[in-house]
Amino acid sequence: MQVSRWAFAVVEMVHLLSLAALGGSVLLIDLRLLGVILKGESAKNIGHDLGRVLLVSLTILILSGIGLLSEEAMKCYFSPAFRWKMALLASSILFYFTLHRRALNRAGTDTPPELAQRAVAVVSMLLWLGVGVAGRAIGLI
Amino acid sequence: MKAKIAASALLVLASIAAVPAYAHHSFAAEFDGTKPTRLVGKITRVEWTNPHSYFYVDVTDPKSGKLINWGCEGAGPGALSRRGWKKGDLKIGDQIVVDGYRAKDGSHLVDARRVTLPDGRSVYGGSPGDGGPGDNGTVQGNLSGTGKS
Amino acid sequence: MTQPILQHLCQVIYDSQVGTAIRESDYAFSIIESVHVLAITLLVGTISLLDLRMLGVVLREVPVTRLSRAVFPLTWAGFGVMVSSGLLLFWAEAAKNYVNPAFRVKLILLLLVGLNPLIFHTSVYRRVSEWELEHRSPWRARAAAIASLTLWSCVVIAGRAIAYF
Repeated sequence: MQVSRWAFAVVEMVHLLSLAALGGSVLLIDLRLLGVILKGESAKNIGHDLGRVLLVSLTILILSGIGLLSEEAMKCYFSPAFRWKMALLASSILFYFTLHRRALNRAGTDTPPELAQRAVAVVSMLLWLGVGVAGRAIGLI
Repeated sequence: MKAKIAASALLVLASIAAVPAYAHHSFAAEFDGTKPTRLVGKITRVEWTNPHSYFYVDVTDPKSGKLINWGCEGAGPGALSRRGWKKGDLKIGDQIVVDGYRAKDGSHLVDARRVTLPDGRSVYGGSPGDGGPGDNGTVQGNLSGTGKS
Repeated sequence: MTQPILQHLCQVIYDSQVGTAIRESDYAFSIIESVHVLAITLLVGTISLLDLRMLGVVLREVPVTRLSRAVFPLTWAGFGVMVSSGLLLFWAEAAKNYVNPAFRVKLILLLLVGLNPLIFHTSVYRRVSEWELEHRSPWRARAAAIASLTLWSCVVIAGRAIAYF
């Protein structure tokens, strides 16, 4: 039996499922920060609560990603898409723990979000989207 | 009408039976990098398709002398176009040389890393950045290192 | 005798001009495929958070209806894009999909995953006002949440598996 063939497939599936969880939590957190949804709830609480989902799925994504990488190390080494993905991933994580966190903490419940907070939300969504798109491009470029 | 449907159904079945495998997403998961294979034969069918292209060549088996139809897998049309392939480069009946790596499952399928056309032109066919031998992430691949390294 | 006719139909779709154009395209197929993945992320990502809310894992302080109102437009948008991009992919690969076991399983799963909200919304969700503030929703709602999480995961898994047959 081709163990490695299905092992690769299973890791890919895990990677995809956690991608969905990450995408969902990023979207809800940032749309709240943007003042589009759940306006009655505190952005800080939403960010804190869904941040757990984000971090758990991010951890699984990184672990399964390392699994995929080990099968295709040479491909990734040479792939410009992979380099972009890693750069965007590092930026997303850095952004999440710094400016994004600060924006969440400062967000009030009843007041509409300030321009700076909206900007942070948009940048965050774009950064994470960029990670996904670059990831997809690894297999296509 | 019934006969026509039955005939087309048969045709579909026949074409499907001839396809060894459909798609993959990692060279390492599907093909054996330690089994370089060179196929010399006539093209019998071309599938210029996403997500992977396939073409088929009739190769005489050196042991039995029988003609065996081998499947050759390459990148999708987009990636192949960027490498200078055109759909019309592969013509049914043409004699070509395919350097590739055999499928791990032992079927008559290779990952086509390099194809030498009748006019002597060499084209790289590996999936873009699939990490297989000779892949260096560029559109040309590492042609000189393919096949025999 | 229905099978060959269905298969014949798939072959006709496969051979159609649009199907062939997508299948042989330089960019369209890859773009549609990527959009399909993004739409699934949108759909599954948002609906699973509502499921996790009903299970009492996240956002326990947020009333269920408030979260569902926030989430549904996103979920439906994801659903719409997923179906349309999925149909385009099917158009390009119909004849191959027809014989693909993973594709068949995926269709059955999609049917089941569609039944789930239908049952949920006509039963326990009707009295949602009685339990929407509870940190953990009643067992029927939790069962629906688990069914949704499981089925959608299986849809994604079956979808990915199509490439392996």
